[in-house]
This record gives sequence, C-alpha cells and structure tokens, in this order.
Amino acid sequence: MISPRTLRNLKTEFRRSSLAQLGVLLMLVIIATAVFAPFIAPHNPTEQDLEQAHLPPVGVTITENNSTSEMVDGEMTIVMEEETINASAAHPLGTDSLGRDMLSRVIYGTRTSLIVSLLGTAIAATFGVTVGLIAGYYNNWIDDTLMRTADVMLAFPSLVLAIALVGVWGSASIAVPDPFVALGFVQDMPETFTLPGTVILVAGLVNWVWFARVARGEALSIRSQEYVKAAHATGADNPFIIRKHVFPNSVTPVLVLATLLVASVVLLESALSFLGFSGTTLSWGFDIAQGRQYLASSWWIAMVPGIAIVLAVISINLIGDWLRDALDPEMDEGESRGGA
Amino acid sequence: MRIARFLAKRSLHGLFVVWGVVTTAFLLRFVAPGSAISVVAPIDATPEMKEAIALELGLNKPLYVQYAEYIAGLFRGDMGYSYVSNTEASTRIFSKLPATLELAFAGTLIAIVLSIPLGVISATRRNTPADYGATLFSLLGISTPNFWLGIMLVLVFAVEFNLFPTSRRPIGLDVAMASLLFEFNVDPIVRWLSHIILPAVALGTYFTALITRLTRSEMLDELGKTYINAVRAKGIPEVLVQYRHALRNALIPVVTVLGLQLGSVIGGAVITEAVFSWPGLGTLIINAVNARDWPIIQGSLIVIGSGFVIVNIGVDALYAYLNPEIDNE
Repeated sequence: MISPRTLRNLKTEFRRSSLAQLGVLLMLVIIATAVFAPFIAPHNPTEQDLEQAHLPPVGVTITENNSTSEMVDGEMTIVMEEETINASAAHPLGTDSLGRDMLSRVIYGTRTSLIVSLLGTAIAATFGVTVGLIAGYYNNWIDDTLMRTADVMLAFPSLVLAIALVGVWGSASIAVPDPFVALGFVQDMPETFTLPGTVILVAGLVNWVWFARVARGEALSIRSQEYVKAAHATGADNPFIIRKHVFPNSVTPVLVLATLLVASVVLLESALSFLGFSGTTLSWGFDIAQGRQYLASSWWIAMVPGIAIVLAVISINLIGDWLRDALDPEMDEGESRGGA
Repeated sequence: MRIARFLAKRSLHGLFVVWGVVTTAFLLRFVAPGSAISVVAPIDATPEMKEAIALELGLNKPLYVQYAEYIAGLFRGDMGYSYVSNTEASTRIFSKLPATLELAFAGTLIAIVLSIPLGVISATRRNTPADYGATLFSLLGISTPNFWLGIMLVLVFAVEFNLFPTSRRPIGLDVAMASLLFEFNVDPIVRWLSHIILPAVALGTYFTALITRLTRSEMLDELGKTYINAVRAKGIPEVLVQYRHALRNALIPVVTVLGLQLGSVIGGAVITEAVFSWPGLGTLIINAVNARDWPIIQGSLIVIGSGFVIVNIGVDALYAYLNPEIDNE
C-alpha cells in the first residue's frame, strides 16, 4: 500500500519543511483537545451564568456608556455613567451572552468539527473509491454512468446541495455518551455529545465524486499494465485484482485528496452550523452565528471560534501540502480541491 | 471550425448534464420526509381540504406524470408556484438572480485582478519577503471561512471605523449604471460599490488565495522549462519572458480551475449573502429550505446547476483557444 520509498519521501520532506512540522504539531494539539475535551475544558461549555455574561477575554477591557434618565425636580435629566467591564481569569477567552465560557465551548467545538470532518470524508472516500475503482477497471457502462453522474453532481455547488439536503432531511442529531463522563473520570461536564448525523452523511454524499474521479483515473491507467495481465493469466479473478493490485496504487492520490477534503468538510460543517442547519449547539459555526448578534458590544463571541476554525484548517492544509509535495508532485492545486 | 465542432460536442454533453440537474432537483422532493401537502395546507386542514390541495397542485398523480409535467413546464419557463408566497417560482428566482451574479462577479473579479499578479510576483521573486508574504496570505486565505471573514470585515470596517455599510443592497448595478450613463450621476454607482465591497472581499478572498497558490506553482513550473532558457538566450527582456511566454502557458491550468471553482463561487455567495442580508439566490434558498418551499428549492437548484454548465462550456471554449494542442475528445 505505502511503499518504503514513499515513506522515505515523506520523512525527507517532513525534515526539510518546517511548515509540515508546524501543521502536524497543530494537528496533534487539535486531536488531543478533541479527545480529552472534558479534562481540558475549565468549565462545562453548556453551563449558563447570567451574572458572568459578556465578559471580555483576558487583556481586553470594555467600557460601556450607560445612560439613565432621572426625574429631578420635575425635570428630566440624563445621567451618563461609564462602566468598565474587566476580564476574569476564570474565563480566559471571555464568556458569551449567556455567560458560558468561550474557551470551553471552543474546546468542545473541536470535537464536533473533527468528528464530522473525519467521518464525512471517510464515507465519501469509502464509497467514492469503491465506485471509482470498479468503474475505471471494467471501463464499461458502469464507467459511463459514473462519469455522467459525476458531471451532474459537480454542477451543484456542494454547499448549496448540502443546505438543501440537510434542510429537508432535518439534522438527525445522535446523542453519544461521553466515555470519560460515563466512567466517572470527570464530573460536571456534558454527559452526552451530539453528533450531527445528517451533516456527516451529507458531507459524504456531496464529496464522494471527487474520490470516484481520482480512483477511476488510477484504475484506468493500471488496468492495461503488464502485471495486471499477468495476474489475469495466472487465473486471478477481477475482484481479487482490484483489491490486490489496483487499490494499493490508488492509495497515495486518495490520501492527498482526503486531506484536502477534511479541510473542506471542516468549512462545510461550520457553514451549516452557522446557518443553523446542523442540530448541534456545540459547534464553532453555531457560536459565530450567536456572536454575530452582539458584534458591536461583545465581538469576541464571534471572533474566537473563527480563529479556531482558521487554525484547524491551516493545520490540515499544511499537512496536505506536505503530503502532496512528498507523494505526488504532479497533482495540481484546485483540480483536486473540492470547493467549500 | 475546430472550436465550433468542439463547442457543438460540449453543448450536447451540457444538455445531458442539465437534464441530470433537473431530474436530481425534481427527485429531491421525493426523498425528503413529509409530504408537500402538509407544507401548503393549514395546520388544522381537514382531510378533504388536503385532498383538494393535492388535486390542485397535482401532488396525487403518479411520479412519472408529475415528472413529465414538471419538465413540460420548464420548457414554458414555468417552475410552479411558490408554496409560501403564492407567486411564480421562476419570477421570484430570476428577480433574485442579478444580486447573486453581481456578488459572484465582483468576488471573482477581485480574485483574478489580485491573484495573478501576486502569484507571478511570488514565483519570480522566490524566497524573498514578497514571496513569503504572498504565501502566508494565500495559506490564510484558503483556510478562512468566508462567512466569518465577512463578519470580521463588518466588525472592523463598519462597526469600528464606519467606512462601509454593514449590509443590504439598496440599489442594483443595472439601475446604478443607467443613471451613470444617462444622467452622469455617479452617486448611485458609488452607493452600489460601498455596499458590495465588503461582501465581495469576503467572498473573493478564498479564490484570490487559491489562484495565487496555483499561479505561483504553475509559473515556477514554466520558468523551469527549457523553452524559457531558449527565449532568454534570444535576448528577450526578462519582463517579456515572464509575462508573454511563461505566464501565457501558466494560465492554461488556472483557467481550468477557475471554471471548476465557479460552482463554489456560487456556493460561497449563498453564505456570504446570509451574512450581509444580500437579497440574492442564497437568501432565497435558505428561506425556501426552512419553509420547505419546494418549487423555489427545485427551481433555484436548476438555475444554479444549468448556469454552471453554461459557464463551463464557455470556459472550455476559452481553454480550447488558449491551448492549441487541445484534444477534440
């Protein structure tokens, strides 16, 4: 599947490129954050505390002008009061409009983002690669059907199709118990974690075509190679040849594509959550949407989760660049990139 | 002649894709849970009332009859009536289309104007601060969600500095242009520009970054080829070497990707519209999805999908023109 030479290329490129190292380091931090969210989060991300609402992040002081009108001797006077709101060390990134801790919400949002993007990409890759390999290998009516289907799918912007599908199917939220809380390692954290089922499925549905196209291309180029003919001659049947000879050859380009698509699904999920279609309220996109209403006063509610998205996507893109430089110097940017 | 034959072939294929788009949009209603009747009928509707509504909308006919009628309607430009506002779906969709096209066009324009020079500078001054700056910008650009960027632009340029309005489109480009040309009045066009600039930047940044990266890597490829050495050896000034020879070839894949990305420009426009209350197709689709307004959802998908097909035929023609080696297959 991955030859020793490929591994060597990966290592050489990794040592050479500090950006690749930065990307991998960031990704490790992100994965650890997602997995150990209940341990890392300083507060329960869903716990409301209206006394502590709209607190700015550490290092920021907000001055608010409150004007109150008072009746003095039958005359109306307006009293201007300047109120300073200081950050609290208990909430390093501030709090939202309901007093929920932004840092904890961003930490839990990492889970949603990572699970949706990995599962969505996995569904797209599994389905797309299977169809693509079969189509390319047999190169018959299945191939024609696939290529025409792909043309139709690509005519729809994936975000528009995703909005239509998630919108009409509903969000199908799945509540998964948090193992750390269930086993009693941590208290006072959310007991379940909401998986936006439809979003995962739709992320797979709108993206499988990219995988099918790449896998088909590989299968087409391999099917006429001498060693495939030799395998035929020794009596190997087609499914065996596809599994043993054609599939391993498609792994490298599929891996590069998968990285790009994980990044694009992170963006897709945040967009759907922003629009309120995903059904989960612990998501970066959802927090940006709620923060948008308080932009003039509490700008950090919208800003902080966005920075988390940018960091996550940068990390994935750096890893993608590393893989592409090391494995596939011929691949073009953009041709392989599913639009977000 | 060559291009004409090529175009004819592509158009035939395009027609097929449009049929696929129409069929997908039509079938979408049938894979969705819940019947369309419950969307249209009042909550307290009696079964008889529902029956009457189904009869009127043709919802109780067999699938293939509804399909045939829908396609026949499309040929007449009829996409049915909106379930919610009781206007013709096609009228509503085409009245929203200009706003989305303006936004998509402005975003693409920003991307093309900025990204190609940036990519060229980055490639020709490799490993200089200019190159690092362009590379960092493009990495950030492809990693930033456009809706968040839009909100941050509003925060900085509208809320903090009050330079641009936060949202809405008070005037269309057509009206603004008309008053500029016939009344020599620049105010409407300035007003149009001040409203579109933030959404266009929010939408265009991703594509600027993407095309910058692509132009850079394609330019580096071309500049490393032997024909460039031959051109240089003839004594051609370096500027011409870069722009007339290398860039022309580097642009071929850039044009392909621009065509492929047009769909995502529209996808990006949909969500940018949501941020800026831009009254286009995106806002229309989101509202229609929330209300299960099927004729609007289906019609919008068909318009967007067909638009993508048409534009891509144009891009292919441009591609055939740029690359004389293109295969007719």
